[in-house]
Amino acid sequence: MRSMIDWIGAGVAIAVLASVPLLAGSNYLVVVLTVALCNAMWAASWDFMSGLTGRENFGHALFIGAGAYTAGFLNTALDLNPWWGLPSSAIVAVLFSLVIGIPTLRLRGPYFALAMLSGATVMQSLTIIFSEYTGGQDGLNGIFPILDSQTAYYYLTLAIAVATVASLKFIALSPWGTILRAIRGDEATCQAAGINVSFYKITALMISAAFAGLGGALYAHALLQVGPDLFAVILSINTIILVYIGGMGTIYGPAGAALLFSLLIEKLRFLSEYRLWVYTLILIFILFFLPKGLVAPAWVWLRERLSGRRRKRAEDAVA
Amino acid sequence: MAQILVYGAVISAIYAMLAVGFTLIFGVARILNLAHGAFYALGAYGVYVLTAYGHLPLLAAAVVSVLFVAGFGAAMERVLVRPLRRSTLAVLMITLAVSLMVEQVLLLIFGSEARNVPSMVDATVAIAGVDISGQRVIALTGGIVILSGLWLFMQKTRLGAAILAVSQDAEGAQYMGIPSDRIFSIVMALSAGIAAAAGVLVAPFQTVIPGMGLLPLVKAFAIVIVGGLGSIPGSILGALLLGYTETIVAFNISIEWAQIVSVAAVLITLILRPAGFFGKRAAF
Repeated sequence: MRSMIDWIGAGVAIAVLASVPLLAGSNYLVVVLTVALCNAMWAASWDFMSGLTGRENFGHALFIGAGAYTAGFLNTALDLNPWWGLPSSAIVAVLFSLVIGIPTLRLRGPYFALAMLSGATVMQSLTIIFSEYTGGQDGLNGIFPILDSQTAYYYLTLAIAVATVASLKFIALSPWGTILRAIRGDEATCQAAGINVSFYKITALMISAAFAGLGGALYAHALLQVGPDLFAVILSINTIILVYIGGMGTIYGPAGAALLFSLLIEKLRFLSEYRLWVYTLILIFILFFLPKGLVAPAWVWLRERLSGRRRKRAEDAVA
Repeated sequence: MAQILVYGAVISAIYAMLAVGFTLIFGVARILNLAHGAFYALGAYGVYVLTAYGHLPLLAAAVVSVLFVAGFGAAMERVLVRPLRRSTLAVLMITLAVSLMVEQVLLLIFGSEARNVPSMVDATVAIAGVDISGQRVIALTGGIVILSGLWLFMQKTRLGAAILAVSQDAEGAQYMGIPSDRIFSIVMALSAGIAAAAGVLVAPFQTVIPGMGLLPLVKAFAIVIVGGLGSIPGSILGALLLGYTETIVAFNISIEWAQIVSVAAVLITLILRPAGFFGKRAAF
């Protein structure tokens, strides 16, 4: 019964998203939602690695930026068909994940978090230093759209984002995901049980990076421009805040939070320079008062209501 | 050659001040403080405000600024970090939130353009045939004095001994009657103060902008990983290594490539010897 409600909920969410271009009068909302879907892919992929295994990734922007710049380069410098950007961006992001992941994920302690943060920061300064190739502060401009109509591109992004969230959730619910969650619980016990912990963590990071890079490429072709901001710490933090709001370890929660929050941020545009302030305040508020997040617990509550059970079980948020 | 020696020494001294504070609070309280770069920026802006608007003499401005940042660090530890200490991720997030908040406040108040802080001395000095601005010499000597002072404090005073005891075993120290919670606040103040002092010393010859703390934070990570997380001698050695390598690369190849040194050093260290030079705890 409950999984039935989950399926219906997912169906309703997709139907709502799919009907937006038909109902919305302006193209503007469509573009905003396309970007929101990219954010959803980034949040869900962050959650897959860090939410499940508990290894904090503080530089998700490294993968996002790598994917976006790959798509941009292939398109502007090599004049390749924009479709090539999608798979290649995922591959490049995976390469980056291997460079950082293999040395650091074997270790306990904060090494992975620190290395990711430094990796993204250094990439950002490299894009400015090697500005003859990367366009410096202005980034790469004149990227071609993949599809001519923005509405069609929105549907493409929606399809890829839904596939991303669905496959990440599928892996998370499979025995594979159980192992990842066991690693978060007690790494030493997993090792004692004969599980190659490093292998699982590194593979999880590769999967996470692939989808983040793909999201980056979609983003690049949506805005037709990439810049050093795609490597910025603030983008990584933004992603982590979305995961916190969504509910860590649930995959669908962060994706939902990304969509809802992007719309909210659009409404908050009048705050302009105070926007980051609001962000950080929200983050501090959530850290102190809502450690389980907002979106996933809300859905769990709703589901309990719909299935006629009065018992609210917060543990379900994890399952 | 002499140029590399002199300039490398100045950079290493600044890096050492940043890395020692960073590693100290990690070694003692297991707090990975991502707001460390914000302390550095606050120190620089503090001295700017006090000299430009408060018309204080430079030395007084420097002292007030360092004390203010030390108090800020202790307050942050007490109010924001302590309730969340049990979760590493939450501590990382909250210190990062503080660092973003500081950067935003600085941006809102001062805007994004670079600010100028007057030098403490205008003269240039010649050391081993190399002309170097007096401010850089002050930064070098200031760094050496502060670090030696820290060493003496840790080795010779009761409070220093208490800090060392807590860093070895917080629970055991607690049983011996050492209030570890208060030690954490003191160490955070100390670490923030040293970072602010580094900011004050470099402010005259660095661009003072709201985001100036981010790159030093990354450098501090790199140094601390090379030297061994939690080890003070390790981070001084790491600072010398990184400072000189960067200077050599900057002089012989280009300033651009110097930026990559820190990340390369981190990756090489983690592959070859994850515990760093003096890391006591096994990293595996």
